[in-house]
Amino acid sequence: MTSLKRSHATITPTTTLSSKTYLRTLKSGKVQKIVRELYLRQDIPCSSQLCTVCLEQQASGYHQKAAPFVLSATPAATKQFPQGHYLIPDTNAFLNGMDLFEAEGAFTDVIVLQTVLEEVKNRSLPLYHRLIALTKNDGKRFYVFFNDFRLETYVQREAGETINDRNDRAIRKATAWYNEHLQQAASARKSVRCPAVVMISDDRDNIRKGKAENVTAFPLRDYVSQLPEADKLLDMIPERSSTRDGKAELFYPEYMSMSAMLTGVKAGTLHQGIFNVSTYNYLEGSVHVPAFDRQLIIQGRENSNRAVSGDVVVVEVLPKDQWKAPSSKVIEEDEVNKNENADNEDESEGIVTEQERRALQEEVKKTHASGLENQPRPTARVVGVIKRNWRQYVGHIDRDSVRGGSKNGQAQQTVFLIPMDKRVPKIRVRTRQAADLLGKRVLVAVDSWGRDSRYPVGHFVRSLGELETKGAETEALLLEWDVQYRPFPKTVLDCLPAEGHDWKVPASKEDPGWRGRRDLRDLIICSIDPPGCVDIDDALHAKKLPNGNFEVGVHIADVSNFVRPNNAMDKEASLRGTTVYLVDKRIDMLPMLLGTDLCSLKPYVERFAFSVIWELDQDANIVSADYTKSVIRSREAFSYQAAQLRIDDDSQQDELTQGMRRLMMLSKKLRGKRMAAGALNLASPEVRVEAESETSDPIDVKTKELLDTNQLVEEFMLLANISVASKINDAFPQTALLRRHAAPPKTNFEELSNQLKVKKGMELRTDSSKALADSLDTCAEPANPFFNTLVRILATRCMMSAEYFCAGTLSYPEFRHYGLASEIYTHFTSPIRRYADLEVHRQLAAAIDYEPLDASLQSRSKLEGVCRNINFRHRNAQQAGRASVEFYVGQALKGRVLEEDGFVMRIFSNGFVVFVPRFGIEGLIRLKDLAGSERDEVDGVFDQAEYKLEFDAVGKGKRTVELFQKVRVKIEDELEGSTGKRKIKLGLV
Amino acid sequence: MPREAEPSNNAKAFLLQALRENVRLDGRAFDEFRQIDLSFGDEYGVATARLGKTKVMVRVSSEVVKASADRKFDGVFTISTELSPIASPAFEVGRQDQAEVLLSRILEKTIRRSGALDTESLCIIAGQKCFHVRADVHVLDHDGSLVDASCLALVAALMHYRRPDFEVRGEEVQIFDPREREPIKLSMQHQPFCVTFGYYEDGSVMLLDSTLLEEQCREGEVMISMNRFGEICQIAKYSGEPVDAMSVLNCMNVALEKVKVFDKLVKAKLEEDEKRRDVGGLMAELSAENAR
Amino acid sequence: MPLDTSTYILAHLRLDGRRWNELRRLQAQMSTQAAADGSSYFEMGNTKIICTVAGPQEQKSGGGGRSQQDKAKIEVEVNFAGFSGMDRKKRARSDKRTSEMQHTIASAFESTLLTHLFPHSTITLNLHILSQDGSLLAACLNAATLALVDAGIPMTDYISATTVATTASYADKEEEADPLLDLNGLEEQELPFLTIASSGGEDRVCSLVLETKVHMARLEPMISVGLDGCSQIRGILDGVIRAHGRKVLEGKVG
Repeated sequence: MTSLKRSHATITPTTTLSSKTYLRTLKSGKVQKIVRELYLRQDIPCSSQLCTVCLEQQASGYHQKAAPFVLSATPAATKQFPQGHYLIPDTNAFLNGMDLFEAEGAFTDVIVLQTVLEEVKNRSLPLYHRLIALTKNDGKRFYVFFNDFRLETYVQREAGETINDRNDRAIRKATAWYNEHLQQAASARKSVRCPAVVMISDDRDNIRKGKAENVTAFPLRDYVSQLPEADKLLDMIPERSSTRDGKAELFYPEYMSMSAMLTGVKAGTLHQGIFNVSTYNYLEGSVHVPAFDRQLIIQGRENSNRAVSGDVVVVEVLPKDQWKAPSSKVIEEDEVNKNENADNEDESEGIVTEQERRALQEEVKKTHASGLENQPRPTARVVGVIKRNWRQYVGHIDRDSVRGGSKNGQAQQTVFLIPMDKRVPKIRVRTRQAADLLGKRVLVAVDSWGRDSRYPVGHFVRSLGELETKGAETEALLLEWDVQYRPFPKTVLDCLPAEGHDWKVPASKEDPGWRGRRDLRDLIICSIDPPGCVDIDDALHAKKLPNGNFEVGVHIADVSNFVRPNNAMDKEASLRGTTVYLVDKRIDMLPMLLGTDLCSLKPYVERFAFSVIWELDQDANIVSADYTKSVIRSREAFSYQAAQLRIDDDSQQDELTQGMRRLMMLSKKLRGKRMAAGALNLASPEVRVEAESETSDPIDVKTKELLDTNQLVEEFMLLANISVASKINDAFPQTALLRRHAAPPKTNFEELSNQLKVKKGMELRTDSSKALADSLDTCAEPANPFFNTLVRILATRCMMSAEYFCAGTLSYPEFRHYGLASEIYTHFTSPIRRYADLEVHRQLAAAIDYEPLDASLQSRSKLEGVCRNINFRHRNAQQAGRASVEFYVGQALKGRVLEEDGFVMRIFSNGFVVFVPRFGIEGLIRLKDLAGSERDEVDGVFDQAEYKLEFDAVGKGKRTVELFQKVRVKIEDELEGSTGKRKIKLGLV
Repeated sequence: MPREAEPSNNAKAFLLQALRENVRLDGRAFDEFRQIDLSFGDEYGVATARLGKTKVMVRVSSEVVKASADRKFDGVFTISTELSPIASPAFEVGRQDQAEVLLSRILEKTIRRSGALDTESLCIIAGQKCFHVRADVHVLDHDGSLVDASCLALVAALMHYRRPDFEVRGEEVQIFDPREREPIKLSMQHQPFCVTFGYYEDGSVMLLDSTLLEEQCREGEVMISMNRFGEICQIAKYSGEPVDAMSVLNCMNVALEKVKVFDKLVKAKLEEDEKRRDVGGLMAELSAENAR
Repeated sequence: MPLDTSTYILAHLRLDGRRWNELRRLQAQMSTQAAADGSSYFEMGNTKIICTVAGPQEQKSGGGGRSQQDKAKIEVEVNFAGFSGMDRKKRARSDKRTSEMQHTIASAFESTLLTHLFPHSTITLNLHILSQDGSLLAACLNAATLALVDAGIPMTDYISATTVATTASYADKEEEADPLLDLNGLEEQELPFLTIASSGGEDRVCSLVLETKVHMARLEPMISVGLDGCSQIRGILDGVIRAHGRKVLEGKVG
């Protein structure tokens, strides 16, 4: 390079200077006066291919490239405009009819005025983006004419004139100019017909003035009705929003003071509970409070008053005439409010959008129909929040809320974050990195939700990576379920044995490690686990005793020997609560050194264990039970399948196999007894993802299969847990850490049993777990084996969830485990991966006088805190595991189109939910998609009493869908245009 | 009023004559840096950079402060520079010297304005609490190329630093002690470095990494900050004889090469430091996220 | 939300209706302040500046750390009028940005003024900013050139300065980004830009300041457009000076 490259574009003709001055009021109340220069010019082309004058004087950019002329010389003609016509729509035309302008084949040759573009941007950024996209679409021939920079069309605001009037005048002036300009152009070229220029406006005053100024003007509807495909197009014009009669509320109601709420709750006039939002309808929430059997409904944004799912709220029950039935409709936030502006700096907004009001109004109309689910239920409104449960939320940035392509990232702007969790509202986030964050998984924190903001306000925390990548999605679900996946703190290193992986059971029995330990190294012990398991918690043995009875031992990893109470490692483990299993990953509760090596009951090596040894008679009745710390040496680690093969292989007659056969025999008897006592056999959709070994990309999805050996292990673990539970409860009646499963209240089953009765004529008895277990067995259809599983899945959802608790907090009858039909229960058998088990180990060790009980385990209040945390962690771990499977199933289905059987699980008035057992996925099918309609909402004929939905499917005529019906569905994955995100989409075949 | 001693006319003439003959007094090539050395302290966030005899130490620290009302969604990041008499008798304590203003402005523009440190990630609760990250630049010895050395040390220190972890539950914040939870690296968007060109002989000779003597004799200088992707964060040519536009543009390509070298150096040194801290290789045991 | 620079690509029109290579309206006067040794009033669009020059005069005793005995020292003071910006704000005296600006202006003129003719003396430039709307540093340099000519201080050449931005962040393809000449305040906020000053002949860069992140590939067109802008401005300054000179010769002004 020796000299600068230069662009020798000519210096352009002279311009006229004007200036524009306006005032801007900021939200802070500050008023700014802004003065801007305007350089008015005459070289802005009309962009009509008719015109030669403009073409000659057109200026070009630095790269000498001039924009080609857009508007056709022979635009489409209609009856009224045989010469063809150009359109100049005003702002409202675009705001109301954007779908129309986007329609193929109609609305070409449109002139978008600068004035209009600016107004559209002011009103709705998403619509502005759509409009800009139209101007870039070659086939549509949309041209942006900068009328405010052209000398002839510039309009100065007159004294006393409103901005709107000035803008209307500018539009009329531009239309008039175009008219005149085109006539000149046409006459210059002779023999050419001159197209008309038509202004589209729904403002009557504007049209009238236009007529007076000789401007052709039509309302949008009138114009469309002249078009050839008018019927189809007219449908796409939304009803004129019933002009704001009651001006939208500007503010959410103020919260009550804390003391007023507490007094109210005490007096029973107010109720406290946890606010939950429906996954299907973001405008409907519910709160369970002790005073009502059924959950209180909270409908609409004003009533939920800034509560976010999970918050502890105080509610006031509304008068009976305002009670509502629960929604029968799917309402999704990103569908309803997609055209909002994120930035509300400049003006105040209402808290409820017009669209939401409408969505809920339709809802109200339907409450007059009959049906059990349709009766009005107690409805309430939130009057205050006791405790926020805000956490960090994962989501993605709404592409439409991002202003421009400002990549330099200096300017801060407000954008919407759409959380992964559908129950959480959009979050306003102010960031400088908006453009970089598009298409990424993003973590944000919620900071506040003021009365004047429709949405909560948060800030950007960090980006997790590209959407749909394994790393980002895994981290996202860990964060969503609050799984503690960060590395252990360094202080944990000090708590690990100094020998590291070389640690061994001390050879000398004089070693303090041997104190109080029984030497069980001679027993023929083995472990049975899922394939590839490295954190082996449990091992078993069974020996025939001389008296004909059996000695059966369950040996559990002695984790409490390594994890001492209250040290750094214990604190970390107690915080984590549980190990979390994802499809390809494990988030450990304890460092790997312990979990997969020193504690794990690996075969062929000596390990410390905590053993429960029973004497069982031939019928598997317990004769005696013994608990002891021990040293064992496992002879083999089997997978379920390998163990099964070994047991079934008659040629194997060694002691190990014999032992397993004994265990198998006893386990079957134990199971029989349990079932007879009314234990439930519940189902949850479980699938396994098969991954390619090298890339670990998912390739297939299989339903999990259960072997007898699975049940073998399960039975003995249950037995051990039950035995240990009563042992520690005897020793520490106030502080024993137990697990209970409460009987579900009757109302939980009401809906399901009604559905079964109406649709299948079956009866679901729910008086006791035994009755339920038996009646579940009867809910079967021979022709349709899966139906029973489906009912079990639905029944499981009606249950309460099992929970840890501290013995002193409840009376003995409430200890009952409903699902297992056991009086008392705890967790003892998986201390490597559950903190509860570790605590139970400590209690049991104290109960057998092995060592004194740590002070923390004697304090009820401390234990209650531990229970709360592990209950929470336990639930989240399950959810995270499920979400991980879901993600991998999605990945496995990527790019495939499949047809599968599905079952209708739930029906709404505008869609229904289908469960596909083959993949364990559950998906919503919207009528809107089936009708192939561009319109926002499609309703079918919904018979709520009969759980039946009738609708028009495109190209298939009338169809009816009923609850529990088996349907054929098409499964494909779809790339969402707005988010660039892939999601599984179901369609009816 | 102490003042940098002007080099004698003879010394100047000698240096310029040498340059005319394509020789630098210390024998380096025109575009060659002196020995670059970078070391980290035991504490996170302390880095010392050496360019020949020039030595700059940067210490990064943080505290939790109330967020400022007009920047609710950002944390605070400040860079303070100190040219003390330790470095050179020409520097005075407590008096804002022109050189200090310029140094702090260049660092400010290179690191802060270019968004190298993502200040949004320092926000804890918008409008209420945030981290204030503070970088103190101490010049310990001055033998030219102060800006380049300071910038190198500053970027290295920021990348080395870890802030305490925190958790927000509802509306409560808990800040964790480094012993409770591993502190977190700062979120850096990119790593810009500054390269200063001194020119002589009407811009026909461009020197990199000038010594103090070379700086005193030059006709002018161009300071360029960019990252390894070739994104320029700032250019400052304040003074000196006018120079040909082409030679300024040529400087960009040279600067990019040097920036890539800096970038690699910092990353290599950080890795070295990481290894040094992992005594006995036990760090791997602390990972909680493991393959199944 | 008003339109922003992203609409530039639609019709190659900037926010105020200019094309990429158009300067704003430039207006300048000389000898506006009778009391000063030299003065000027300079407007670039809505950026308005008064510059006064005092000196060369005797050096204040003991003043200035960098004082050199063999040539005149240039001191620059920039004052922002309280009403110059959108918000009425007081700027701290010790503001580092202002002091950097003063340094830039002072050192730019060190290379063009024949300071060695005035040993032991000081030339003081006072820049009063009446209104800000972008390209502030450039306007200051231009205003100072006029005032220094008015003060009759010998110089080798005028310094003429302007700003250039690039639309890279909004263009479909970065390579097709247009450089924009002479920015107003709004454009400065949205686009990466540089200030360039030229003196001593075609393509000679006297000062160059860039403070926003931009890719190096965008630099060449920016500098070349900037230098063209500088030479346009140089022509305008020259015209103003000659017109003023003519009036002085005709005895119409003091």
